[in-house]
Amino acid sequence: MLQSFPTMTIDRVSASILVLFSLFVIWESRQLPLGSFRQPGPAYVPILLAALLLILGVFIILMAGRARSLSSLRWSEWRHALAILLTCVFAVFAIERLGYRLTVLLALVFLVKGVEKRGWVSSLTFAFGMAFGSFYLFYTVLRVPLPQGPLGF
Amino acid sequence: MGAYRRFYFLPALLMLFFGVTVESPGQEKYPDRPITIVAPFPPGGVADLTARPVAAALEKVMKNPVVVVNKTGAAGAVGMSFVANSKPDGYNLLLALSSISIIPEADKLFDRKPAYTMDQLIPIALISADPTIFVVNASRPWKTVKEFVAEAKRRPGAISYSSSGVYGTLHMAMEMLTHSAGINLKHVPYAGAGPALTAILGGHVDTLASGPAVVIPHIKAGKIRPLAGWGAKRVASLPDVPTFKELGHDIEFYIWAGLFAPRSTSPAVMKTIRESVKQAVNAAEFKAAMEKLQTPIAYLDAPEFQKFWDKDAKMLADAIKRIGKLEIPEAK
Amino acid sequence: MTETLHNLYLGFSVALAPSVLLYAFLGCVVGTLVGVLPGIGPLAGISLLLPASFGLDATSAIVLLAGIYYGAMYGGSTTSILMRIPGEAASVMTCIDGYQMTRKGRAGPALAIAAIGSYIAGTVSVVGLMLLAPPLASFALRFGPPEYFALLTLGLLALAYMSGGSMLKSLAMAVLGLLLGMIGIDPMTGFFRFSYGLVELGDGIGVVPVAVGLFGLSEILLTAGQPTATEVKKPRLNELLPSRQEWRASLWPIGRGTLLGFFIGIIPGSAHIISSFVSYAVEKRLSKHPERFGHGAIEGVAGPESANNSATSGAFVPMLALGVPSGPIPAVMIAAMMVHGISPGPLLISQQPELFWGFIASMYVGNLVLLILNLPLVGIFVNVLRVPYPLLYPAILVFCILGVYAVNGSAVDVGIMTATGALGYGLRKFDFETAPVVLRLILAPMMEMSFRQSLAMSSGSYAIFVNRPIALVMLMVGLALLLLSIVPFLIKTVDWRQRLGVAGGQDAREKESL
Repeated sequence: MLQSFPTMTIDRVSASILVLFSLFVIWESRQLPLGSFRQPGPAYVPILLAALLLILGVFIILMAGRARSLSSLRWSEWRHALAILLTCVFAVFAIERLGYRLTVLLALVFLVKGVEKRGWVSSLTFAFGMAFGSFYLFYTVLRVPLPQGPLGF
Repeated sequence: MGAYRRFYFLPALLMLFFGVTVESPGQEKYPDRPITIVAPFPPGGVADLTARPVAAALEKVMKNPVVVVNKTGAAGAVGMSFVANSKPDGYNLLLALSSISIIPEADKLFDRKPAYTMDQLIPIALISADPTIFVVNASRPWKTVKEFVAEAKRRPGAISYSSSGVYGTLHMAMEMLTHSAGINLKHVPYAGAGPALTAILGGHVDTLASGPAVVIPHIKAGKIRPLAGWGAKRVASLPDVPTFKELGHDIEFYIWAGLFAPRSTSPAVMKTIRESVKQAVNAAEFKAAMEKLQTPIAYLDAPEFQKFWDKDAKMLADAIKRIGKLEIPEAK
Repeated sequence: MTETLHNLYLGFSVALAPSVLLYAFLGCVVGTLVGVLPGIGPLAGISLLLPASFGLDATSAIVLLAGIYYGAMYGGSTTSILMRIPGEAASVMTCIDGYQMTRKGRAGPALAIAAIGSYIAGTVSVVGLMLLAPPLASFALRFGPPEYFALLTLGLLALAYMSGGSMLKSLAMAVLGLLLGMIGIDPMTGFFRFSYGLVELGDGIGVVPVAVGLFGLSEILLTAGQPTATEVKKPRLNELLPSRQEWRASLWPIGRGTLLGFFIGIIPGSAHIISSFVSYAVEKRLSKHPERFGHGAIEGVAGPESANNSATSGAFVPMLALGVPSGPIPAVMIAAMMVHGISPGPLLISQQPELFWGFIASMYVGNLVLLILNLPLVGIFVNVLRVPYPLLYPAILVFCILGVYAVNGSAVDVGIMTATGALGYGLRKFDFETAPVVLRLILAPMMEMSFRQSLAMSSGSYAIFVNRPIALVMLMVGLALLLLSIVPFLIKTVDWRQRLGVAGGQDAREKESL
């Protein structure tokens, strides 16, 4: 392992992130009282677990030479993944402000028309059908509470 | 027309998005759309079970839909801060329990940014108030508070009690007792009043303070024994159980449920709500519903409720200060 | 015995009255519909619909809620099998092999065996509930924090034994899951841990949004943009029922799952969740071909599905016999009874026989209704897979958002789902498995709390874990399991892992297992 710069395998990269994460947890726990072996405080178990994750991460880095190299990962689906995640983020902020139906309508038009490039007619039909159909079934019939926007949607 | 529309579209969308609506100049009639009562605890809890009959009775009086929404999380803080920070238009009300006064105090203790403050809310009416009952597992020897206190003094920190959680209402009641009697008990917190009851029935802890409706079935079955109550007077369904006041402990504690609105709700709207609630709690239907829940109605209108709340909040604040910040699980 | 039969007759005369029967049926339908929403399992289902039962008489209300509960239980496994979206914590295990079966075109048999397994488990466990309730209930109360901790440790060790791919990487994921479970108010001292000013994180991050995110959303993120669209094999209609061989393979897992689930379910607390984990672990341990698990083994669906169903009947034992709110679902049922003026307590059976026995009988009826309702539905559900993926995944996404939001009425939960979806996407890209994270996230808060409660009870003495017989026995079994899993490493026999040459390097999605 010393002869050359270790290859960036997927395990090395991911385990390094885990190591950093565990260090972060330990750092963040500093404000919480640790307690003692006989009376563990709020930081006791988290620090124990973070230390364990740290050790495991280091082991994975050490033994990761044979894993696939980072460059072998294919990210062909990243556009779709990003679009879907953005839709979810939009839903988080919109659902209680615009109401359920409007949020779903906009999200579906974006995904079906914008991302999947379907026609306007089928996209709008699908989006309207899903937004109002699911709202009717779950809110009106089954009484699952869903938010309504300021315009009553 | 087209240009006109475009001009208004963006601001309109922004207003939609940030929940801002234009105040219409002439005050409209209240209520003209459904009113929401937020219960900050899950369905089936005391807050939810009290909110439902209140909503049903209020709906009849106001001739307007009143719906209960459960906004749960963080021991009720999520739902309470939701109403505290909502628009003071009378359409978002809160049905809160005693813990409403505890959370801001605990936030203060831990130097946290408070989820809400009590000034953000204004009381509408007290709906019910039940004193907690002090019970011991039936296999334990103590028959009276005196015997119990004597034993606790002889073996400090040995007798245990379960609670609904640290700084929870049941913890507060016990803290008042231990403070007043000058005793040390072992506190084992559980995740809610249900598990705390299970713990005493299983004999994993010795004592518990909880509401009458919770403990009475098990008292009747002989599994637990009541020693005293926290009320100013005895509980009607437990006439033989003395109050702590009778026994010389000057403590009083209730698990209560009350209705609140955001602080700056206009006086006119407040007046409508208060009068409607007054009629609602006197409706036969509402009385029957509360009877079934074995929860006596203890209606107080806003001014008296404010006084009650102030006194209660001060008492709880003192108790929290006495407990202080728990570095480690409590075993004083 | 004759008395029991007489009582049962009384119960059936209540449960088979047309109006009560109607409510049982209605409950099953509504429960199935709501349960199909990702995230809405039995608990969320009956909580959301509890207010709807207030207007009914007590027996109808209880029967309706029991129907909703069964329906939601079953509806949850449908999305787990078809879309890898767990309806709730208990159906996390079903996702693993159920979804793999769907990818191989065996969605029909998977759904059918889940329905049949649930039916058998439901019916048998009601017999157990009927005959054993009083004696078992008082035994169940002996489970305090130390026993609970020992049981959870046992569950943790059972899970650890079954790691599929790289041992180190799945251990790391397990620890990550436990760490995520630390978020929220510390139940013993009231400190907020890792919540960064978000009040909504006070109760910790919920299992539901995390499970939907790590399993369901990450699956959509990975598949939606694949140029070859989806590789899910469309099932043929004549393949809806399990083959003879699949029947044979499922029979014992159903039986074992039923027993295991019932006895774990009796224990107060949320122990019923781990019944499905333990069942999966047991089936994998007993199987002659453990390597099939994670690749569409029908035993991996039959066992856990039966276990989680009988576990929640088990959870009714302490509730009905002692009036103890022994878990979240019984607590909601007790609330439903209180609304009708019935105080559930130790005297319920003697004071309200028609309610108790009506409830028991309606459980038999409800299970049957559900089977009759769901077997034909298998055909319909399976056809959902024929919808082109570019339309199917936006629809699934909408249902994920709807379900996750509705459980607590919280947009923050939708945010957690989004974040864990992204996390799961990254993890699976890097050949990590996501199941260990979810399973440990469920266990972490319960384990930490019972551990620290035990120490509070004993004033800091660890002897409490060995002085109590039940706890001691379970810890010994756990120790034995641990030793068993270490033995192959010590004496160099060929483990099935080496036999297979599983090294990590295949596509993580192909070997998603524990």
